[in-house]
Amino acid sequence: MTSGMNRFNPTITVDEYLAESNVLFYLSDALTQLLEHKEEYTHFGVIRYFAEYFSSVKNSNHILFREYNYIKATPHNRASFIRVFWRCYRQIGKSGDLLSILEYSSLLQLLCPDFPMETVKSAARIVLTDDGFDCLMSFSDFLYAFQLQFYYQEFLDSVLLIYQDLLAGKSPNTVIVPTSTSVEQLPGLTTEENNKEQDLEVEASTLAECIDALCDRIKNSHPPRSCLQEALEETGKVSYHSLLMSLAKHETINLMIGALPSKTEVLNDPEMDQELDKLIAQISVSPSSNSSGSAVSMLKEVQRKASPRRNIHHRRKMEVESDGSTEETDSSEN
Amino acid sequence: MADREKRRSAGSGSCLAATVAEPGPATKGSDREFLSQAGVGELLRGALLKMVEARPDDPVGFLADHFGSLAAAVVESGSEDLKEPRLSDGSSGDEGARGARAQQRLNRALWHLRLAHHSQRSAFGNNVRVAYDLLSLTGPFGHAGDSSPAGAPGGGVSGALYTQTLRCLCGEGGVPASTSAPLLCRLHCHDHEAVPYGVFRHGVLTCAVFSDYIRQAQRLYAQVCQPDEGPASRAACLAVLGALREALETSRDADSPSVKALRRLEASAKMSPHQLARVMTEAQARGPAGHMDAKEFENAAAELFIARVKVVS
Repeated sequence: MTSGMNRFNPTITVDEYLAESNVLFYLSDALTQLLEHKEEYTHFGVIRYFAEYFSSVKNSNHILFREYNYIKATPHNRASFIRVFWRCYRQIGKSGDLLSILEYSSLLQLLCPDFPMETVKSAARIVLTDDGFDCLMSFSDFLYAFQLQFYYQEFLDSVLLIYQDLLAGKSPNTVIVPTSTSVEQLPGLTTEENNKEQDLEVEASTLAECIDALCDRIKNSHPPRSCLQEALEETGKVSYHSLLMSLAKHETINLMIGALPSKTEVLNDPEMDQELDKLIAQISVSPSSNSSGSAVSMLKEVQRKASPRRNIHHRRKMEVESDGSTEETDSSEN
Repeated sequence: MADREKRRSAGSGSCLAATVAEPGPATKGSDREFLSQAGVGELLRGALLKMVEARPDDPVGFLADHFGSLAAAVVESGSEDLKEPRLSDGSSGDEGARGARAQQRLNRALWHLRLAHHSQRSAFGNNVRVAYDLLSLTGPFGHAGDSSPAGAPGGGVSGALYTQTLRCLCGEGGVPASTSAPLLCRLHCHDHEAVPYGVFRHGVLTCAVFSDYIRQAQRLYAQVCQPDEGPASRAACLAVLGALREALETSRDADSPSVKALRRLEASAKMSPHQLARVMTEAQARGPAGHMDAKEFENAAAELFIARVKVVS
């Protein structure tokens, strides 16, 4: 979020400063939330409400149980979500459980009720060679692939388009960069075809040129150019799949996003264990299920229930409310 | 505080107002009413203005602190002035609570003072004023109305609080207590005195500049001393200090602005790398005369500064 802003640089106008910081986005969200839950927050105190809101944004807890559109709205939100995902489910990695795409998707939906399956699938595709729904992945493999996919979603979508054009022999620089359409909504390709295609190879140098041009167009929301070059320099020919694999493992990219420790450290953080217990206690379905490895059994239980979304939403309301009112307004989900 | 901010807001960007007054689509009327009743527009306008003025690198963290300190103020003041009718606190009257509240006020004042560097004159000036107003309310009859004119009869910051503020400022500025003690001595007011705004401002500004100065002096020493050769030679240090004294003396006693500017140029020429190198070689030529450690250098540099600070009262 602190992307090299210089407060002593007089050439930055107020509007530019505000635009760069995403502060107006958070203010407007805070206002919307406030208006949706007026009753609660007048008890709470409006000033205290804003204080809590911004301190939760600062501490990266603000994305818990929020809708997908909010979670992906800013780089800070994305990084926060990746971090929270790691913090909540690190125990799975520790216990060595391997999970399927569906299970990872359910874990994500415990934190974000409407988290789309497509993003999970795309992430899994980086790890797996074929994406059967029952293929199992280790937590850390999935985590870093997920980070890349989720954080650089739009960039990767554009890269895939370029890649497809190169395969088809078209000139890729005429491509219109999509902003939010996900790859799977593109016409003409089933998932199966998509997959096979992603393992075909194109000239790395041509792809590198096109990606460089892409980076010029989309400014900041791409991985550092040096990392991209590194990943593309290594080989003469490269497939979309192998490019993503090497980017997912790239330590510099991981550092730049700043949400996760390096891969060797990812399961090793004793001081976070305590905090983790607290978090798990918050999100777990039954209060007694916070021992190691129980997240998986808890998840399976949730899958059996008709609508986990309602449960989570209800719990969120319970946290905020203290006066015992049970009226639900569900409007934040729409 | 709110008044001043409103005045300043007159010329600022229109996008601020647009964000602040942006109600939901459906129940516009009642939303608008709710927002204005709760004073949200004013609250957010104030926050944004503060933020734009300070331009922090981490705006979200800044807003968290800003609202946090406002919330603390509301709890403390019994919530009268900030349109929080339902927020009542049970901690009034208690002695211990009063001490805690005084500490909170001090923290908030310090937070304001930290917002802008003293070279950003108007911003720094405003923040000193806000801090002064905050601190002058700690007395038994004080009330946290932002509208209450500072320097009202019987108002003013107590000497004890003033001294504490200066001490904290120097400490936060990375100046060791032993180095800042002589300066604080010069700026000292009696604990029971009511410190007028002019004196408060002078003290705060002096401490801010002093902290910068000491940091520069520490850097200067680091330049003089070779990292792998232990403490710097006394002769070289003395030469540098001599040059520093000369430079300070040049910039002193200037009346008209043009003369001042001229003196400043002269002074910086005296501290130019070239000039420093010259005096240091001369000193080396005179032969070794032991070493000077960082602390001694710092003290000597501090002394040069402090000698130029007028004694208060």
